[in-house]
Amino acid sequence: MGGGRTSDSGTSEHIRMDALAYSSRMLIWAPLGKLILVIAVLVVNVMTDSVITAFAVLALGLALMAYSTNMRIPFMLGVAIAEALLILIVACGIISINGDHSQPCIWSADFLWLDFYMTADSFNQAWLVLLRSVAGITMMMAFATSTPIPHLAQALRQIRIPDEICEIVVLIYRYAFLLLERMDTMWSAAGSRLGFSGIRRSISTVASIAVGIFTSSMNLADKAQVSLECRGYRGYFPIYNRPQRAGIGWISVAVIAFALLYILGIHTEGVVDFAGLAFGA
Amino acid sequence: MEYILEARDVSHRYGRGEDSPYSLHHVSVGIREGVRTVILGANGAGKSTLFYHFNGVYRPSEGEMFYRDIPMSYEREHLYQLREDVAVVVQNPDEQIFSSTVEEDVAFGPMNMNLHPDIVEGRIRDSLFKVGMEEYRYRPTTQLSYGQKKRVAIAGALAMEPKVLILDEPTAGLDPQMSQEVMELVDQMCLAGTTVVISTHDVDLAYSWAEEIHVLRMGRLVYSGPPEPFFGDRDAVSLAGLTVPHTFSVNRSVEGIRGRSESPYPRTESQLLAKMSPPEARFGRISVRAVPEDGAVPDDGGELVGIYGFRTRRLFDETGSRADVYFDAIEGCCLGAMQGRDAVLYCDPELVDVVRERIRGLSAFGRAPEVV
Repeated sequence: MGGGRTSDSGTSEHIRMDALAYSSRMLIWAPLGKLILVIAVLVVNVMTDSVITAFAVLALGLALMAYSTNMRIPFMLGVAIAEALLILIVACGIISINGDHSQPCIWSADFLWLDFYMTADSFNQAWLVLLRSVAGITMMMAFATSTPIPHLAQALRQIRIPDEICEIVVLIYRYAFLLLERMDTMWSAAGSRLGFSGIRRSISTVASIAVGIFTSSMNLADKAQVSLECRGYRGYFPIYNRPQRAGIGWISVAVIAFALLYILGIHTEGVVDFAGLAFGA
Repeated sequence: MEYILEARDVSHRYGRGEDSPYSLHHVSVGIREGVRTVILGANGAGKSTLFYHFNGVYRPSEGEMFYRDIPMSYEREHLYQLREDVAVVVQNPDEQIFSSTVEEDVAFGPMNMNLHPDIVEGRIRDSLFKVGMEEYRYRPTTQLSYGQKKRVAIAGALAMEPKVLILDEPTAGLDPQMSQEVMELVDQMCLAGTTVVISTHDVDLAYSWAEEIHVLRMGRLVYSGPPEPFFGDRDAVSLAGLTVPHTFSVNRSVEGIRGRSESPYPRTESQLLAKMSPPEARFGRISVRAVPEDGAVPDDGGELVGIYGFRTRRLFDETGSRADVYFDAIEGCCLGAMQGRDAVLYCDPELVDVVRERIRGLSAFGRAPEVV
């Protein structure tokens, strides 16, 4: 049960993901600029009903992710993406078989008490939703795999989010790793003392670990407070090396991307008919 | 004698009630400027509590703390000033590293001191250089090993350029070589004029390094002074939860067998050998040299080569020059010379005289290798 918590190399998955962000080729790009671009693209992605726009966003997201990570996606992240895709496919399948009964049917079936009724519109809508979602996930992944949390906190600072919130974000990020490492150790220790032999014992062990982590976090907080004072803490976390600021260039890029995708969407609505391609409807 | 830091009749309880136990009980101790000082004590003796009194993080329940003979004020601005001068490196680096990258964490102290960014930059570079972590400057702190985190924690304190550096168990959790490297760095800090105070329960380290020790037992100060009288009292050592240092023990046993005086007390292996070596033993010579600026050292292959100091270590790393004694090189070269080998000891230029003096100091125990 404890075996999947670390990779073969012994490095925890959460640390590998963090390493991925820090080794990204897009790391030096202004975090706020990346955030603005991603938000602009995500918004335009849902503003038009064009599949072509969704395809374009997907292509952009994949290109950015490939550039950012060189397609070195950690295993657990790959599993998470695959799981999300599976959920999306199921959800879109449900959308496609819940067509409007006033429209002509392209496929129908009865199974137990379920009535499947697929129309050209519902089928096309399902594909649009699927492509939009996948494109959105890809864009967000490109951002997440190139922007470590402290850089994100910097982006938040630049849009005038209060310092207290940004500092809490950074501290959570810093201490989450410590607590996760401690949890890994406790997990292995519990496993080596047969703590996971049987379902009931496993549940009890996991509960004990959770309690242990909670008390550890309180203890750590006390000690960290003392250490902060030792290091001359004056009530705020000074930042030495601020990431690049998002200037007019980034805003221009975001606006241009938004405009191009929007125009593309307006002019290509209904160009691709999935129902026609699949069923000849 | 003027103390840079002093506790006068200081008591401290963690709880507020009258029933809460004392973590420090009427402790009076003074730290002399420039003197290598060790606070010794078993786990829970009150070492860390005393340290946090030295930089004003804890306020005594009773008694008074002094910095440069002035009573400590616990007003915010005075405390900031005090903590700029008195830096503490805590035992567990994970409790001290707050920032996400090495650079940010080392900059944390200097930035809190409101220094100009150019000065902060210089301090980051210097302190990372001293601890050999320049290449990790932009690495996330979450990706460092324990030893690397310890170095970063020390660099964070060095970057504040404190007058007093207090290290809580500096070698705990480190491998022997890393421990040697840390102690070498600490030595250089001392030579540069920083007053260094170490807490430890490693009696061998304390005995070989300290000029003065203060021993705590269950929150009470049981001894202050040079190490020998304390370690000579087996009962006191035992009651303090400690053991007698190896070198001290061997010297006592051998001199007991030979029926001679234990004094002078050797603290290192080389001092012990200097004392025990027969007059007919043939010693090699030790040549102490400043490392050339380009790091290009002649390699004739015949001599034992030792390196001492962080600059020398870095130059040897960069040039790939041969070094036989990479850690604790003064001791290593002395031992090599006592076994008849000639040795060359390369060190940072400012250390040449000090190192020569240290080697010549062996003659106080008996025979010393010739230093050139």
